[in-house]
Amino acid sequence: MSGAATWISAADVPALYEGAKFYAPAVGDAGRSSLTSWLTGLLEREGPVALHRVETMAPETPCVSLCVLGSGSALADLPPAGDEFVAAIRQIEQLQGVRFGAVYPLAAATVSALVPVAAAAQLGVPLLDADGMGRAFALIHHTAMYLAGISPTPLVAFGPTGDSVLVDARTGARADRLLRASLDTLGGWAALASYPTTAGALRRGALPGTISRIANVGRVLLQQTDPDLLISRLAAITGCRRLGRGRISELEQLSRPSDGSIPAHPSSVVIDETDGQRRQLRIELRSEIVAVFANGELIAGAPDLLCLVDATRGTLATLDNLERGDLVDVLVTPGDAVWYSDEGMAMVGLSFHGIPLDHPRRLRGEP
Amino acid sequence: MSQRPSTLPITLGGLVRIQPLARASRLHFADPLRQVEQVVLAQTFERLRRCAPHVLVVLHDTAAAGGWSLAAALHLAWERNVSAVVVSGAVAGSAGAALAERLNMTLLAIDSDPVDVALQLAGQVSAPAAARALGQALCAERLAEQTHVRGVLGVLNSELQNAPVALVIGETAVAGRVAALQDKTNARRVEVEVQGPDEQPWARLVAAVPVNGPMAVEQVESLLRLARPSLQAAWAQTRLDSTVHSAHEQAAFGLLRRLAAEPPPDAPAGPVEIETPPWSSELGWQIDGVNRAVWLTPLRPSGAPSEEVTHLVRAAWQRGRTHWPLVVDGDSWISWHSSEDADDVGPLRRAVTAFRDSAAAHRLVIGVGQAHPGVAGLMRSVAEARLAAYVARKQGPAGVQWFDQVGASAALAWLPTTEIAQVADLCLAELMDARDRMALVQTVLAVLDCGGSLSQASQRLGVHRNTVLARLTRARQLGLAYDEPEQRLALHVLCYALASLWTQSGTDE
Repeated sequence: MSGAATWISAADVPALYEGAKFYAPAVGDAGRSSLTSWLTGLLEREGPVALHRVETMAPETPCVSLCVLGSGSALADLPPAGDEFVAAIRQIEQLQGVRFGAVYPLAAATVSALVPVAAAAQLGVPLLDADGMGRAFALIHHTAMYLAGISPTPLVAFGPTGDSVLVDARTGARADRLLRASLDTLGGWAALASYPTTAGALRRGALPGTISRIANVGRVLLQQTDPDLLISRLAAITGCRRLGRGRISELEQLSRPSDGSIPAHPSSVVIDETDGQRRQLRIELRSEIVAVFANGELIAGAPDLLCLVDATRGTLATLDNLERGDLVDVLVTPGDAVWYSDEGMAMVGLSFHGIPLDHPRRLRGEP
Repeated sequence: MSQRPSTLPITLGGLVRIQPLARASRLHFADPLRQVEQVVLAQTFERLRRCAPHVLVVLHDTAAAGGWSLAAALHLAWERNVSAVVVSGAVAGSAGAALAERLNMTLLAIDSDPVDVALQLAGQVSAPAAARALGQALCAERLAEQTHVRGVLGVLNSELQNAPVALVIGETAVAGRVAALQDKTNARRVEVEVQGPDEQPWARLVAAVPVNGPMAVEQVESLLRLARPSLQAAWAQTRLDSTVHSAHEQAAFGLLRRLAAEPPPDAPAGPVEIETPPWSSELGWQIDGVNRAVWLTPLRPSGAPSEEVTHLVRAAWQRGRTHWPLVVDGDSWISWHSSEDADDVGPLRRAVTAFRDSAAAHRLVIGVGQAHPGVAGLMRSVAEARLAAYVARKQGPAGVQWFDQVGASAALAWLPTTEIAQVADLCLAELMDARDRMALVQTVLAVLDCGGSLSQASQRLGVHRNTVLARLTRARQLGLAYDEPEQRLALHVLCYALASLWTQSGTDE
């Protein structure tokens, strides 16, 4: 191991958690306290975890990604015993006959951004400042590594009941389906270790700097401030901008047919803009905010990262807590460049969510 | 001559009147006059992007998948300037309706299969004349359901939208929109004559059709013709109603009069407060306040008036004052105005002034009583008005007399002038045979009226004092001994009767 490292200590956990929420606005706060207190205790006991940029690692260092697969509420109902992530990693190590020298998050968002920190502390290995999504997508093969030709398999899902599933499949999509078929039996959620590869491969395949980014975003979010200042500070770190501010006038569940490709029901939020052009903003939800229409015109959509800020309190509004009458700001943050390529768009763009419209960036002639 | 059917495109307003869109719920209806030139069944957003302006879009399949799709479709429709969007009711929620309103885009929700609806609409749009004929047939049904003139005009105006229609009698619009009569350079006037039950022209239906509007003149004309039977039926109904109403009012007034004349047996002596019977308010009568009666009577009474005359008098008297009663009483009509303030004569004065033309036309005179409270007061005012009306006869047709200004001279109005004149024929045969009898009688009357003053009499008659003197001498020779005290009253009355009679008839025959 060489090169400069920063450290993640127990004091950084709240910021990490808040930042991770910004990049996955659909996820609620159900498992917050148990997870953060577990991680805080772990870091206090084991000491801080070293955070390394990928290019500072020796290229041949074996690395593996970690994430929480399944529903957040299942994780809250059946909290981790604590050894699931290490156990998943050990199974792949056994299978491949390697010892992983670093771990990294599959998605630097949601609780999946926190568990690699815990695993790194338990294993005594560094954490890579990189991830596969730069946010959270629904399926395990929706990653930059997959686009770069790195296979997600062999992968191991280790459930809270102590059972595990090892999957080896020819394509990412088949691996995802095999995995989801076992998820209920595993306990509703599972610790997933996947994408076993080397640091050298991750240099070209992973999205760099995403852990430090969520920590920075989290620190901004933790400072209680007025929404306008909050958005300008977030813009400086993430490049986000406000699409509009308005009051929620309608919440529609199951607002359109689902093709079953994504494990979340489609629904819509209708917001009446309270200033500016007083447009009707329509927010389409699935496992994330998929698209925003202003008076029926598509103004932002996946792979843009879309989130809502509670304009009264200056905090992030999670999608399962929205109510009619809430005053919210709609924020759009550009996704990582890889997602706007043709392959990226085909994978996680609007058409994947059943919206056969061109992305506004394409219409504007942007790359 | 056969008329070629109009080839103007059908309007949105025309389409929603007939099936299948008549059943559609209108989530937002922007402009009924928007033309619909084509129907597009849009399955994809790509198809929507290729729509020409003025088409009606029926959303289907992907374009009607719910959630965002309706919003996106409405936006594209707005960009393409389409006339309307039709979508399945299952997809269209309140947010869709709100967006349609925001974009001012007509949005109609249907329950049936969009493909079937699009096919039917395409047929209607490609044969606008047939669709319009269907619309007219439905309109005829609605017209037939109307029982009042206003209802008929209401249907016509809602059907013709921007072409105002009015029913005109003479030059006055009696129902509908007065805008139909205003001369506009950009509108063409269409008129259809309406005959009364006696097959005589009774009224005209007038419509002002905008020159560049979506409605052809022939189409408007045929609609107006369709309305004629309903109007005739409504008119007949009104006549029937007014006859019944008139009889009802007459009976009620008779009862009221009896109440005032025969106070209850247990009532104390002196003036009696008579409670207003509750049935009077059912007729719309107001009696509780201070009442001032009006007596309308023919200049020359000739028995009870016909129903037609009563109808016309009622129409003229109640124009703008529909709550004022009009009760037939013998050869005359009674009306009254009730108010809280006895000095409030403004409304009555205006009513009398407005009625004078009609009074002249029907050779009526008008008497107005004083203001008195309650039922008994009304009856008293009626008696005063009647007296005043008799005095008003002296003024000729449309004469108006207020009782306040009559005083004791009202007594003269009751003199049986015809009978007294007959007495003159017997007692003053010589005078009545004289050729200058009119001048002689008028001169004697003037001298008696002026208390024997020759100079005042000559001034009133406009002749020289000597002429007056000469006529008096001649009158005395012919038996008019006006200066004999025992005969003076009798001769004064005789001269008054003769002069009144001759003034009324305009001759001394």
